[in-house]
Amino acid sequence: MANREQVSSEEWDARVNLAACYRLVDYYGMTDMTGTHITVRVPGKDDQFLINDSNLFFEECTASSLIKIDLEGKVLDGSNGLVNKAGYVIHSAIHAARHDVDCVLHTHTVPGMAVSALECGLLPLFQTAFDFHLKTSFHEYEGVAVDEDERERLVEDLGENMALILYNHGLLTCGRNVPEAFSLMFRMNKSCEAQLMALSTGEKLHEVDPKVAYETSMFMKGRKTFVHDRSWAGHLRRLDRIDPSYKN
Amino acid sequence: MSVQDQCSDAEWAARVDLAACGRLLDYYKLTEMTNNHISTRVPGEKNHILVNDYNYFFEEISASNLLKIDLDGNVVTGPKDGLSNAAYVLHSGLYKARADINAVAHTHTNPGIATSANQCGLLPIFQNSFDFYQMIAYHDYVGSASEFEDTKIVVEDLGAHKAMIMHNHGLLTVGGEVSEAFSLMYRLDKCCRAQNMALATGQKIHEVSPEIKSKTYNYKFNRGNFGGRRSWPGHIRRLDRHDPSYKH
Repeated sequence: MANREQVSSEEWDARVNLAACYRLVDYYGMTDMTGTHITVRVPGKDDQFLINDSNLFFEECTASSLIKIDLEGKVLDGSNGLVNKAGYVIHSAIHAARHDVDCVLHTHTVPGMAVSALECGLLPLFQTAFDFHLKTSFHEYEGVAVDEDERERLVEDLGENMALILYNHGLLTCGRNVPEAFSLMFRMNKSCEAQLMALSTGEKLHEVDPKVAYETSMFMKGRKTFVHDRSWAGHLRRLDRIDPSYKN
Repeated sequence: MSVQDQCSDAEWAARVDLAACGRLLDYYKLTEMTNNHISTRVPGEKNHILVNDYNYFFEEISASNLLKIDLDGNVVTGPKDGLSNAAYVLHSGLYKARADINAVAHTHTNPGIATSANQCGLLPIFQNSFDFYQMIAYHDYVGSASEFEDTKIVVEDLGAHKAMIMHNHGLLTVGGEVSEAFSLMYRLDKCCRAQNMALATGQKIHEVSPEIKSKTYNYKFNRGNFGGRRSWPGHIRRLDRHDPSYKH
């Protein structure tokens, strides 16, 4: 277990934010037991990352229980926690290739899984979904264990985007910080859920004019609001009211 | 004298595990009032099993109020009116036929019964569903009039598998331990939920290639144990925070 005195204040802040993110993913029903991960780069350390102890459920995650590892998943802070190396492979591939991305969030939410199995992907049907329109990548399912070759294809498929649909598998979002990755995941999962509802009616869809869809999407891209996400403070206050122990 | 005083430590531990399983099925909304049953073999007593008392809701199940019965349907510990004939016939039939199993769970979750009514069954369209790909059995509905006859066919249909979709009825999982049967049920229901959502859209499904299907099957098949053991302590801690009275 890391304690506050042993790490830089920047690292401690990153730990608190990441622990909060694990708690929020649980709170909003986006977990798959211990099957997925969220990782963040240690501030100022290009090749050091924080990940959860896989022995713990997301709601049990705390700042000090997070484990500091390198790109290969080697433990750097003497933690006795369990690092799920297989689960980390997707994360480390992105962290190694994308220096603009400090946080990687992967989920197997039910709506995310469902959309990941649709040929049509995520459609530009709602304002919320425009956060992803023309800004989402797709990656073919290649089996459970990600090998060296697949890491390259994954990174190539992601390109410069911040959101990725892993076909027949789930969702992945990136962020320049934790709030951005969380906010994108929250919205992407919500968009999937609403799209599934709309398509399930079997009714003809009211489409958005392609020009409007394009312009809206580009407008959203320029905003960069998620890095300074206003809602993050609200999410933290929500967590604080329920159980502030993520800060420990 | 309390039930705990009357039974071996091993039986008490099995009771606590099975009671936890009942509470978890309720917690994750996998129950249908009192209409389903869970059971486990008493350690070291291959002809005795523990099963939930029909009179209790799953959230009321505790280690002490489980019934202990023999495989011929005689109640050894607990009220005789607590045993449902249907449950005894099905569960005892499975234990008689399968020396390798020590736990059985059967549910009527909505996602499960929906998939049970689909001719296609569970499709290999999600990474999560590969836990079951070519490792799940199907059983045709024959009604509940002749339970002994039906159980014979259930046993035949299940073969060496650990999970079964009972067409037009529900889901059945078995395991070497309670944690495995529970974990399989939790995962199977989630796969059904995501599949129902995807299929309800009427959209073209993005299929996994035959090569990846067989590669993933080999990976999952060779892995053997179900991972139930890893997440079980987390589920138990979650229950303990929520309501630890299942242990009584």
